[in-house]
Amino acid sequence: MKRGFLALTIVAAFLMVGWTMTTPTPAAARTIVIGLNIPLTGDIPKVGESSKNAAEMWLSDIKKAGGLKVGGKTYKVKLAIEDNESQASSAVSAATKLITEDEALAIVGPQASKQAVPAGEVCNNYKTPMISPWSTNPATTKDRPFVFRGCFLDSFQGPVIANFVTQEYHFTKAAVLYDVASDYPKGLAGYFKKAWEKLHGAGSVVAFESFTTGDTDFSSQLTRIIKSDAQFLFLPQYYNEVPLIVQQAHALGWKKPIVGSDSWGSPQTIKLCGKDCYGCFFVSHFVAKGAKGITKAFCDRYQAKYGEEPDDVAALTWDSLHIIQKAIENCGKLTGNLKKDRVLVRNAMAKIKDFQGITGKMTFTEEGDPIKCAVIVKINDKGEYVFYKSVCP
Amino acid sequence: MSLMTFLLQNVLNALQWGSFYAIIALGYAMVYSILMLFNFAHGDIFMAGSYIGFGIATGLLYLVTSGIIAMPHWLILVLTIILSMFVTSFLGILVERIGYRPLRNAPRASAAITGLMIGIILETANLALLGAKRRGFPALITQKVYTIGGAFVTNRKILVVVVSIGLMLLLDQFVRKTKWGMAMRAMSYDFVVVPLMGVSIDIIAPLTFAIGSALAAAGGVLYGISYPVLNPYMGIIIGWKAFVAAILGGRGSIMGAALAGFLLGFIEIFVATVFPSTLRDLIAFSIVLVILTFRPYGFFGKPYSAKLRL
Amino acid sequence: MKERKNKRFSRIREMFSGIPALGWLVGALVAVIIEYYFGNSLADFLHMDRLPVLFGVVVILKRPLDIPGAFVYVMLIYAIPIAVVARLTSRLMNRIAGFFDRLPLWVSAIVHLILLYYVLSVWTDLSDYRLLILKLSLIAIMVTLSLNVINGYMGEFSCSHPGFMALGAYVSSIFSVGLFVNDRILGHALLGVVPAWVGQLVFPIGLLLGGAIAAIGALIVAIPSFRTRGDYLAIISLAFMFIVKSLFDNLGFLGGARGLGSQPDWATLPTIFIWAVLCIWTINNFVESTMGKALNAVRDEESAAESMTVNTRKTKMIAFMFGAFWAGIAGGLFAHVLRYVNPGTFGLRKLAEVLAMVYFGGLNSVIGSIVGAVGFNLLSEMLRPLEIIKWIIIPTLLILVMIFRPTGLIAFKHFDVREILKPKLKAKERM
Repeated sequence: MKRGFLALTIVAAFLMVGWTMTTPTPAAARTIVIGLNIPLTGDIPKVGESSKNAAEMWLSDIKKAGGLKVGGKTYKVKLAIEDNESQASSAVSAATKLITEDEALAIVGPQASKQAVPAGEVCNNYKTPMISPWSTNPATTKDRPFVFRGCFLDSFQGPVIANFVTQEYHFTKAAVLYDVASDYPKGLAGYFKKAWEKLHGAGSVVAFESFTTGDTDFSSQLTRIIKSDAQFLFLPQYYNEVPLIVQQAHALGWKKPIVGSDSWGSPQTIKLCGKDCYGCFFVSHFVAKGAKGITKAFCDRYQAKYGEEPDDVAALTWDSLHIIQKAIENCGKLTGNLKKDRVLVRNAMAKIKDFQGITGKMTFTEEGDPIKCAVIVKINDKGEYVFYKSVCP
Repeated sequence: MSLMTFLLQNVLNALQWGSFYAIIALGYAMVYSILMLFNFAHGDIFMAGSYIGFGIATGLLYLVTSGIIAMPHWLILVLTIILSMFVTSFLGILVERIGYRPLRNAPRASAAITGLMIGIILETANLALLGAKRRGFPALITQKVYTIGGAFVTNRKILVVVVSIGLMLLLDQFVRKTKWGMAMRAMSYDFVVVPLMGVSIDIIAPLTFAIGSALAAAGGVLYGISYPVLNPYMGIIIGWKAFVAAILGGRGSIMGAALAGFLLGFIEIFVATVFPSTLRDLIAFSIVLVILTFRPYGFFGKPYSAKLRL
Repeated sequence: MKERKNKRFSRIREMFSGIPALGWLVGALVAVIIEYYFGNSLADFLHMDRLPVLFGVVVILKRPLDIPGAFVYVMLIYAIPIAVVARLTSRLMNRIAGFFDRLPLWVSAIVHLILLYYVLSVWTDLSDYRLLILKLSLIAIMVTLSLNVINGYMGEFSCSHPGFMALGAYVSSIFSVGLFVNDRILGHALLGVVPAWVGQLVFPIGLLLGGAIAAIGALIVAIPSFRTRGDYLAIISLAFMFIVKSLFDNLGFLGGARGLGSQPDWATLPTIFIWAVLCIWTINNFVESTMGKALNAVRDEESAAESMTVNTRKTKMIAFMFGAFWAGIAGGLFAHVLRYVNPGTFGLRKLAEVLAMVYFGGLNSVIGSIVGAVGFNLLSEMLRPLEIIKWIIIPTLLILVMIFRPTGLIAFKHFDVREILKPKLKAKERM
């Protein structure tokens, strides 16, 4: 009996402590939660880290301003960060958790398409606005009114590169080396091939070689590329592989130009690649070096805070968060009913015109894809990314 | 490019790529032949070895550039390889102590699972400690490109092949000529009776892990020199493929594992050369499947009954 | 001191020893109904933002200040109602269980399953996040169990399960997307878009097709295993996994690495629940049958088994095909829960996960697989707030399990449904 009494007392004590210690949160309705569905572990942890950095910078701005002002009221903003482990299934549970548990008003990410496609389905079903800063797969936003993206599509980038090389070098024979098991390089390689063959006729892509994610030795593919009489090599790869491929190509005697895609945009590329990458061109969303205006301000702040230049993921995440911020502000008034507010935010987002982000001006199409300009970047003799020219749709 | 040059170039490429499979496969094969266990943490020990080498090389380079000590770059390279082999061998002993010794009488598959888990811990710890940034291995030797009969070969490539083959021969001599090597071979023959003869498994097992890990570290440093982008997950795929090579070589034959490693390298490179490179994994592993269907005990293994000790 | 503790423990144990499974289920039902009606107000009262979804663990990790609140919540909503209801109704429930015990087993099993389903559906009704976790856990049970047939009961070290899952996932997706959905990868719906109830009727066909193809794929692994022993089979199965993944990477008409999306929303909770129950039931029957005993014989000593008239080839082939079949079904369900499938999902990471679940739960045991799969999935979701550290804690836990229970938590245990469902006597009365 005594023990039963003791147990009861403990429970009662816990109840009291629990009741008094936890601070009442009547202001819960006044907090806006923005979800972040990013890969902190798994294949591409750097992508997650950059997004997290950019998001925290954004949050500190909001905090400095005292919160987000919508229709005269000030709302506190909270970030809910979920790790999707670079896996499709985990991204789906993360998205579900963000929507139903964390009550996110809007979600940023997942970044990579293999997670963004299934997570987009979840967000669309729950009528929660989602913006993927980095996913280039058309399926992410296709027929999903609630899903947006922050970057240009591969179908735009492919022709940009093909046209640029034709004008710049007057080449007619191209070689491509891409990762077949990763959907971004694969998609872009396909669009580039289509665009190139449209310009120079069938068979003008003389080598179309591939490898699998995680490979580090590209000698057999490169040997085949060198054997073909291609005039340049197009490399739609990330900084994981670019340094290795470029260095190995040079070691195998390749002396012709190499052209890259927006995935080269990370400062890590040049850091890991060194002199081998000097003189190369690539397409990008933005240039950190020699940037002006808000882009420069962002780069400087990021550099000061995290000790490295921002990569494209950080910049795109930053822009995506600002798009969400702008959409929320444009709503005019939040009702306090999460479901209604989500629809309001979505509608406001779709209406955004000429949003001036650090990666360029953006307007969303019907599908939720932005119309924005691409930048051609040259890596100069000092290993810096310099603005070369701008291509707009 | 003529056909001969093309072939020669691919043979050179395959030699380099095969060296890595071979030197990692050796570690698997040592543990497998002597203790009859899969050490699934081995790929990640390779990763750790590479990072340790990266740390040592960066440290030494810093000392040299800041003028505290003076040494030429080739000496730094040698020191990096030796020191990282030394440090990583302790990691191997640690892995044995934590993940394998408590499970010596457990089913073999359980030990395989602990190995797998230790591997995940190594990856995650690396990610948590060093952050998600990729690391560039310092270029300890400046790359020089030579041409042999029209084919291109770099001094790094030569270094990789020579050092790894050298280490393999050294290991072979060790296992065949020394007393320790004899104890190991005896253990692989029968690890129930041999301990009764005064050969302690508590010494041989850590020694096996230490040697395997040291080889992996040497491989890791060489890998860092040839493919200078390090990331916490770099050991997974190469590790599993080397595991395939190790078993393909056959139990009880450590050199068989090395040869199978080279073979796997050749298969991968030549499949990618002859067929569309997209199909490389598909065809390479189909070949492995066919080989094992017709030679069920690997190349050099002898038939034995190795059911799991459940 | 220790003795006293033991004594107290045994008293608690005795207090609850006379409760049949039915009693626990009724208790759980009462608990989830209480939560359904009062959970939110109690959470409000305890000043929590919302009711804790996974027994408070996620909340605790995110806001340590909520620990007492979460504790009280779990006590009031789950622990106390379940204990009280189960204890008070034990006499009645025993009588009912006794009545069921005299009926055929399937009647009693179905009654229990309906109760269990009802508990789960009320529990998941409060949160879609719970629903998703439950769905994935049920699928994980199927995968784990089917791998246990090969790795646990037959004692091979097979690494091909992600490959079987991929086959099932893709085949059933081709079936459902190709025939019933207008999709940009597979084109126009060949049979036209159908209403959901028709979908539910044809869905099993797609799943069975997926399972069948996976079983045929298993022959590629099973046939070399006639000649190969033990470890070489690990390589063959690993090679098979790589081959399947590479194959789907290369099949452009299925989207290649981009994956295949827009599967219809057919994998609802009842569907998955029924399939999971079917899976547990058939696998349990299989391993308890003569064939299952033959599996164990092959594991323990193949040549002895052969000489005792066990047809080892047939046994191996059937075990592989059976395991692969269920893995294929699970893969199909998985694809329809995520409504997207890509080859990258079925790689080495999935393999590590599946192996971990089997060895964590326990070899050679149906109940162990259920515990392993559910435990692993719940743990993995509960520790989500820890981000990177999560992947240090989970492996460490697994290593500890392996060290202290090398064959897994609940290994080598029979899963006797009648034994579980029958009325229970108090420990004292049993003497």
